[in-house]
Amino acid sequence: MVAQPKQAAPAPTSEYVLEAKNITVRFPIEHGADVVAVRNFNLQVKPGEFVGLMGQPSCGKSTAAMAMLGLVRPPGVIDSGVVNFMGRNLLTMMEDDVRELRGRDIGMIVQNPRYSLHPMLRVGDQIANVYRAHNQVTKGEAWKHAIDMLRMVGINDPERRVKAYAHELSSGMAQRVLIAIALSSRPRLLIADEPTSGLDVTIQAQFLDQMWDACRQTKSAVLLVSQNLGIMANYCDRILIMNEGTLVEEADVYSFFKAPKHEYSRSILRLQRAAIESGGADAAHIDEKAAPLIEVKDLSKLFPIRHSKSKVHAAENINFFIRPGETLGLVGESGSGKTTVGRCVLRLIEPTGGEILFRNRQANQVERVTDYSTNEMRRKRAKLQIVFQDPLDSLDPRWTVDRVLREPLDLHTDMTNEQKKARVIELMKLVGLEGAHYYALPREMSAGRQQRVSIARAIALNPDFIVLDEPTSALTPETTAEIIRLLMDLSAKLGIAYLFISHDLTTVKFICHRVAVMYLGQMVEIGSKDQVFNSPRHPYARALLSAYLFPSTDNRRVDRTVRETLKGEIPSPVTENLPKGCYLYGRCTSQVDRCKSAPQQLTQLSDGRWVRCWRVAQGEI
Amino acid sequence: MVGRFIAKRVFLAIFQLFGITIAVFFGIRALPADPVARLVGINASPEAVQQARESLGLHETKLQQLFNYLGVWSTSGKPGIFQGDLGVSWVTNSRVWDECIRFLPVTLEFITYALIIAFIIAVPLGMSSATKPGGAADRFTFVWGLFAGSQPEFWWGLMFVFFFFFQLNQWDLPHAPAPLGRLTPLTTEPPPITGFILVDSLLRWDFKVLFEAAHHLMLPTFTLVFVVSGAITKMVRQNMVRVVQSDYILYARSAGLSRRKVALYALRASMAPAMTLTAIIYGFLLGGAVPVELIYSLGGIGQYSIRSILQFDYPAIQATVLVIAMVSLIIYLVIDILHAVIDPRITF
Repeated sequence: MVAQPKQAAPAPTSEYVLEAKNITVRFPIEHGADVVAVRNFNLQVKPGEFVGLMGQPSCGKSTAAMAMLGLVRPPGVIDSGVVNFMGRNLLTMMEDDVRELRGRDIGMIVQNPRYSLHPMLRVGDQIANVYRAHNQVTKGEAWKHAIDMLRMVGINDPERRVKAYAHELSSGMAQRVLIAIALSSRPRLLIADEPTSGLDVTIQAQFLDQMWDACRQTKSAVLLVSQNLGIMANYCDRILIMNEGTLVEEADVYSFFKAPKHEYSRSILRLQRAAIESGGADAAHIDEKAAPLIEVKDLSKLFPIRHSKSKVHAAENINFFIRPGETLGLVGESGSGKTTVGRCVLRLIEPTGGEILFRNRQANQVERVTDYSTNEMRRKRAKLQIVFQDPLDSLDPRWTVDRVLREPLDLHTDMTNEQKKARVIELMKLVGLEGAHYYALPREMSAGRQQRVSIARAIALNPDFIVLDEPTSALTPETTAEIIRLLMDLSAKLGIAYLFISHDLTTVKFICHRVAVMYLGQMVEIGSKDQVFNSPRHPYARALLSAYLFPSTDNRRVDRTVRETLKGEIPSPVTENLPKGCYLYGRCTSQVDRCKSAPQQLTQLSDGRWVRCWRVAQGEI
Repeated sequence: MVGRFIAKRVFLAIFQLFGITIAVFFGIRALPADPVARLVGINASPEAVQQARESLGLHETKLQQLFNYLGVWSTSGKPGIFQGDLGVSWVTNSRVWDECIRFLPVTLEFITYALIIAFIIAVPLGMSSATKPGGAADRFTFVWGLFAGSQPEFWWGLMFVFFFFFQLNQWDLPHAPAPLGRLTPLTTEPPPITGFILVDSLLRWDFKVLFEAAHHLMLPTFTLVFVVSGAITKMVRQNMVRVVQSDYILYARSAGLSRRKVALYALRASMAPAMTLTAIIYGFLLGGAVPVELIYSLGGIGQYSIRSILQFDYPAIQATVLVIAMVSLIIYLVIDILHAVIDPRITF
């Protein structure tokens, strides 16, 4: 084999950058049948094209993406197939020649950015090592190039960051380091495997925009692997759907979202389609004039930090109410204090200040939840319930469904054994569980069924109010759709009010009547669903809604002329970190000097919504 | 930073050693043993017994004995630990500090060599068995670990002596020296500088002694290497297996780094636990290499401590425990510093 000069690119002999045919990846299992992770996988990517590869977790999409580099995680093997990159088959090339292509002509970004960087080496060295592996440069030049790359991917202060270790970076920043590595030699193809998992919505948008711009600049084609419909809809030109190791559908992005062909594709788009058809929850059955069921006034929660005077401001001056049968959505990025508010309302953690009022409909009087004694609180829990995020974690692994659902009846009622059994069966029917699961253990059921059990337990005692704390974030898109449907049915049938906490705006848009947006422990905007989703006013709410990638091809983010984003990252909510004036100061695009020092109050606008921004209140923006 | 860390650890070590001193002091006195009877014999007169008791200071209350030992509010008129004196052996009447200084380097020397060699063998072997599971290196490690690690070191010592000394001698082949100490009885040791005989003879340019000493240290060292490197290899292998499957190695490969670079990335990440294990084995061998010391008649600190225990030589027992604890603490400190040097996630 003739050695090639390092920079020479192979002559293009095909219209595709990448063309994979019939790839099969198998994982040998000791003492057992082998697992075939990818079966007969075909893929073509044209120069400059954004191709999306989508599927459920562990459907083989990441393995397929890796195989495009001729790599498999040990002990897997690529059994058959051809990967033609620029007309040469990667799978039959000499190992050293493939190695030269990797990182130079094919860049790779993977999920878990912090775990994909070596924990004991400076990120600068890692970028430089890759650059030097493909370009004949000195150590010093490579180091300089590393700094330039970090600047290009939008890391501020790259001279300092280049010396950092992986554990000193936020995952957003680590992800950018990976893209710096991947793009350092201007590859023709970038493979991005869940590049934004674990990132918050606004950071995700920032990052994907940067990736999109950088790739347009370097004219790279992109293979984007994700299970996020929103990313697919907003950034990709063409989409491939994978299920259990096999491709089931391939379509351009517009026709896919308009009319998916395969049964599986239809099932993952069901929630979106339902939302389009029915418009989601309607407020018809809610009495606008009814007295609030739950009213929260000036609620705050500060967590002390050990060995320090400063505190974590998880929630500050939270005010809201929920009417009977109404669903209030509480949205915000991680660390915004949503979960803290939900738990404080039920006094699962004690609020530091403020009061919570609850209209006891049986006694027809307003009671102060914050004044309940411990025993009283325990009795009231029958009416005030919660469903948690992780369905498996919130069920005792050794308890059968029967026992889980019987427990609240044992504690709060004096039913006979037969009555309890009848009630358990009734509850199971209500949440759509078959009788066959009566004696099932949590781990014997799917995550969706486990969540149904949690919901059944929450409604066992006819509660008036349930806090739903990210009830669908651990579920697949199709199960999510089913659970959201179920929750809406239960609310309509039993008149339960929900506080629905989620960062998934698609489900919030579907199930909620009103929506509150939180940022750094404060509520920045609260209004009806249409107000918040269609015309958000607070700069943060606007950025959040704009950054959120709705799974629809109308108004794609890459087609917009102005992409609203926030600068930087969310500061940690510790006393001395918090801005004196508006908490968004420093990231806001509409800030003026007064914002720096003037604390903001939640003010009601003429259309009924509340916004925490003086410029909005005065009609300036 | 490092200076403050070391200062903190040394400060802590003083308290640890003080605690050990007190625990050992009362511990051995709680044993149902009579050191006086052992010293003066069964047939001694009550007066002789009383006299011996008083000369050893055992007639005082236990608390007063402790004070005498420590050297504060002493009634014996002799210096104690606080004055830097560990006392006098009841059996040999020489200062236990001098004896420790004589016996400790013997043990330190051969276990240090053994562990360095074991580590050097274990790392590449563990790496290659991790990168090719089921390959020749992997199978060899498995069999070796099972075979060498499962049988006690004195047995292997015996077999080594039998084969490398006796059998090779019988066949008139080059063979190992007789297992009778660090040098042949006719050679005199070089005057100690470090106490390590190889180092000392090298420092004094005495190559005759150097080769002789190396020859004599060969078998005991390799006995230990044989027994402990299986465990270290397995540790390296296990970490490597984990590291090789890690995201950052996969990513390094996907970025097209050379094989050598990827191997270095992996090695860097899998070193630390093996180092810690080596340090733990080191600490254990300080007192636990007795069988090997005995078989090769090396006269190390382990052998000295066993002798002291059997003769109820309280000052010697206390001193050996203290000295071994001190060396272990130093080793752990060094390993922690090395650990922090290779792993930036660890902060002092």
